[in-house]
Amino acid sequence: MPSSDPEPQPQPPSPGDSPRLSPRDLAHVDGALKSMSMKESDGRAEPSPSAPPAVFGAGGPMLKQFDQSTAAGSRIASQSVTPPRSVVGIGGKVAKPDYSEAKIILAMVGLPARGKSYLSNKLMRYLKWLEYDVKVFNVGQLRRSRARQKAQLTGQREDHTASYFSHDNEEATRLREKLAEDSLDMLIQWLKEGGNVGIHDATNSTRSRRQKIVERAAQEKGMSVVFLESVCDDPALIAANVALKVSSGDPDYKDMSREKAKADFLRRIREYEAVYETITEPHLSYLRIKNVGAEVTLCHIHGYLQSRIAFYLMNLHLKPRSIFFSRHGESQYNVEGKIGGDSSLSERGMRYARALPALITDNIGDAELTVWTSTLQRTIQTAQYLPYNKLTWKSLDELDAGVCDGMTYEEIEQAYPEDFANRDEDKFNYRYRGGESYRDVVVRLEPVIMELERQENILIIGHQAILRCLYAYFHNLPQADLPYIKIPLHTVIKLTPKAYGCDEERYTLPIGAVDTHRPKPKSAKASGSTSANGNAASPPPGLPLVSSTGREYYADNI
Amino acid sequence: MVAPLYTTASGLLFHAGKILVLTVGLPARGKTHISRALERYLRWTGVKTMVISLGDYRRKVLGGAQKVPPDYFTLGPKSPETLALRRKVSDGCEQLIWDFFDSGGQVCIYDANNGTRERRQAIAENFDKAGIHIVILESLCDNEELIMANIRSVKISSPDYRGWDPEKAVADYYSRIKNNEAHYEPVEETTWPYIRIMNVGEKIMVNHIRGYLQSRVVFFLMNIHNNFRTIYFARSGQSLIEHSYKADSDLSPAGWEYAERLKEFVLERRAKSLQQRGMDPTTRRLVIWTSTRRRSHHTAWPFLNITTEDPAPPAKVKIVERPQMSEINPGVWDGLSPDQVKKYYPDEWERFVKDPYAYRAPRAESYHDLCVRLEPTLVELEREREDLLIIGHASVIRCILAYLIGLPVSEIPAIEVARGDLIEVVPTSYGVYSQAYHFWDGPGRSDVGGGVGKDEKNFYENYAEDTKGKRRPDVIDSLVT
Repeated sequence: MPSSDPEPQPQPPSPGDSPRLSPRDLAHVDGALKSMSMKESDGRAEPSPSAPPAVFGAGGPMLKQFDQSTAAGSRIASQSVTPPRSVVGIGGKVAKPDYSEAKIILAMVGLPARGKSYLSNKLMRYLKWLEYDVKVFNVGQLRRSRARQKAQLTGQREDHTASYFSHDNEEATRLREKLAEDSLDMLIQWLKEGGNVGIHDATNSTRSRRQKIVERAAQEKGMSVVFLESVCDDPALIAANVALKVSSGDPDYKDMSREKAKADFLRRIREYEAVYETITEPHLSYLRIKNVGAEVTLCHIHGYLQSRIAFYLMNLHLKPRSIFFSRHGESQYNVEGKIGGDSSLSERGMRYARALPALITDNIGDAELTVWTSTLQRTIQTAQYLPYNKLTWKSLDELDAGVCDGMTYEEIEQAYPEDFANRDEDKFNYRYRGGESYRDVVVRLEPVIMELERQENILIIGHQAILRCLYAYFHNLPQADLPYIKIPLHTVIKLTPKAYGCDEERYTLPIGAVDTHRPKPKSAKASGSTSANGNAASPPPGLPLVSSTGREYYADNI
Repeated sequence: MVAPLYTTASGLLFHAGKILVLTVGLPARGKTHISRALERYLRWTGVKTMVISLGDYRRKVLGGAQKVPPDYFTLGPKSPETLALRRKVSDGCEQLIWDFFDSGGQVCIYDANNGTRERRQAIAENFDKAGIHIVILESLCDNEELIMANIRSVKISSPDYRGWDPEKAVADYYSRIKNNEAHYEPVEETTWPYIRIMNVGEKIMVNHIRGYLQSRVVFFLMNIHNNFRTIYFARSGQSLIEHSYKADSDLSPAGWEYAERLKEFVLERRAKSLQQRGMDPTTRRLVIWTSTRRRSHHTAWPFLNITTEDPAPPAKVKIVERPQMSEINPGVWDGLSPDQVKKYYPDEWERFVKDPYAYRAPRAESYHDLCVRLEPTLVELEREREDLLIIGHASVIRCILAYLIGLPVSEIPAIEVARGDLIEVVPTSYGVYSQAYHFWDGPGRSDVGGGVGKDEKNFYENYAEDTKGKRRPDVIDSLVT
């Protein structure tokens, strides 16, 4: 700040206005601000017209001086017993929002092979990404693990072919009822221990079954039951689901030939069809999804989380498509090892921008595609030669590093060694002062996810932290790993959503770029690395390349 | 994300096409409330939307209820003159709808009873032929209290009953709707996509809803209600460095002082407001939203220390920090004074002054960006049922106020939000009542009313404070007493 500028000092109010203010307090702040302006103009040459004064960066001396001079003084003493903690330095860890009031039992309804597991899986991924605690309680899995235990203990093998699922088989029907009840009890127990959304993944195909769930839940306080019925009348969809079930290693069919397995599974579906009752109970709270999002009926849906779930399900579709992620080409700041900023591409970055259209077009042919970029130079420049429709999203801008914007990791470490180590300790929850945390970015990206679910082929030219968050959503990666996902420069990641996850391919263009990845430090005192790396395409060490398109059979010990 | 991202030169959303929303329901079932809320929301998201109200049009063309023939509102056989009058009104309304679509409108909400199947079918077919998507929006109410409350708060204040004795007006109106009830045909046909709302958002049923805009509408409708509540807005207290976004500085001593005064005044004002309406402030809860910036959530701090000694303490106070509610990001202009900006960024400055709503300074957010960021917050604002206090930043309060009051977005940057004013907003069916109460003068208040300590460096956030022709809610000066 040039000293010629007028000083915007808070002035002492007239005594009548605010009796509790002491003039000494005000003088204190006044002095702090003044001395900062002095230091600033002392230490530097008069800025040139092209370079405005940098004000409160963590790189300059002002921030520290400011914190030191106001550390004790701004608060009026004796005001409250436990005053809020005042953050100094470059940021701090932020607690997770309180979701403890959300307690939902989401009970699936539908015949086998109607995409119930698909929907529950998808929903779980979305809600987990939004930090809700979600767990699927799969009755089929419980049945299998109990049967195995029994087999181990008694040597008896239960018959789990289609006849087990027939309603004429009284013994099995009783067993199946018991299983569903036990699984619901486990779910309720889990909600009591702090879970938010428990998904009861079973057929729940009769009115009496559903009534039992409602009655059981009514015994608990603060839990609501929502049914999610998946209806499917598209033969192709059902056939695909059946094929998936048979070929995906379902333990029920592991000793059977495919044909036999398929025949048995179809027979199982018919056993259920014989007694299936679609939801017509007027008092139930339910969502009915026809052909995965093609048509949605909502009944008695209230509450924030429930309406969120409904809106999400309304936006799903099953059309085949691909989502491409690419970071911008190498930027000037990347070369210099600086974070944030709005720099242009380096010469190598420009080469990437020119090479990108051929790679995308080779991959996708004549299909339609829309390109999304952030509002920052480097993504717009990277997209400039792509012959597709482009949209600019402010929400895709890079994580805001606040006071650290424009610094290198070494500089930050030097200026604020402790804070730097703190960030490494819990990177997801660390919010840069005046900037954002990874959690803030996830919140900001939620509408982008919703839009991505709705759209077809999309290419996102984005930034490291942004693509990490999006990638974690599609691959269901845990929060702690999210800030360390490797998204190298000059690499296109192609995700193809499949029934239970995403197929992934990576294409690296042979154009060198720096490696901006900072691995999770082993100890708190790890140094940042911005080493030059000619080939940045190696898969992330420690994090296996995920390709989770197979149906996951849940862990046996649930 | 909101619609403007997808607008084209014509202002229409891609793929969504034109939509006619036909409201269906007996009088006093909250149709107007729902229509207006939806209009406000869609307009704010950039969709060209208009409510055409049959009632308003009839009053405009024919005058109040006394001026129409006695058989106008009764069902059953009517005189040819009455039929002609009714015809004239409905034809006139439909013409208005056509005009709106022809002039580039995208969503039209036809607010009328449309209580018979035949009538709905005729209108729907007519517009469907022109390629306009029809959505039937039925509003049902089985809660007699809600209906009576609606009649009292809305209907008898309508021009139809100007100069009437309130009790007589209620009785007259009640008989008018009783008459309708016998002839009402609920929506059972599945010809058209429909949304059925019970008791203004209590339950919702949706069928054949397709496409993004329609699902967006459903999501919004799932979240509205018309229970009484008050919404308060106040700015955060003064901070040590007002003009720096990045420094995220703590409150100044004056800011802490302000926070204490704010608590006292909010409790006092809220108590008065509720008592006037016959409600007990100590049985209702108060929810406070702040941003994650220190100056904002520290201003809420005194509210955690509410004791029984405070006047009319709320039954419970809950403070929620929302990262989406941070102030507008000034980008590279952070910490600069207007003079410095003019000096270092002359071109950008000129463009900013020309269009402060849409212009985005380098690395900054425009007001438009801020509106997009705030959209999820608005939906949560709609669903909140408790009394709400938003302790925010001028830029954020401007956007939310503009939404609630229904101001065009271009006016957002010029809405004045002075520190030391508490803005009270009470939603009603036809819009909102807003009123500002001036309760504090001190460092950090802008120069409104001769205050001191205005911080002119914080101009991006405080743009309106320097604008001519600014908008400001009416202010009642509580300091005078």
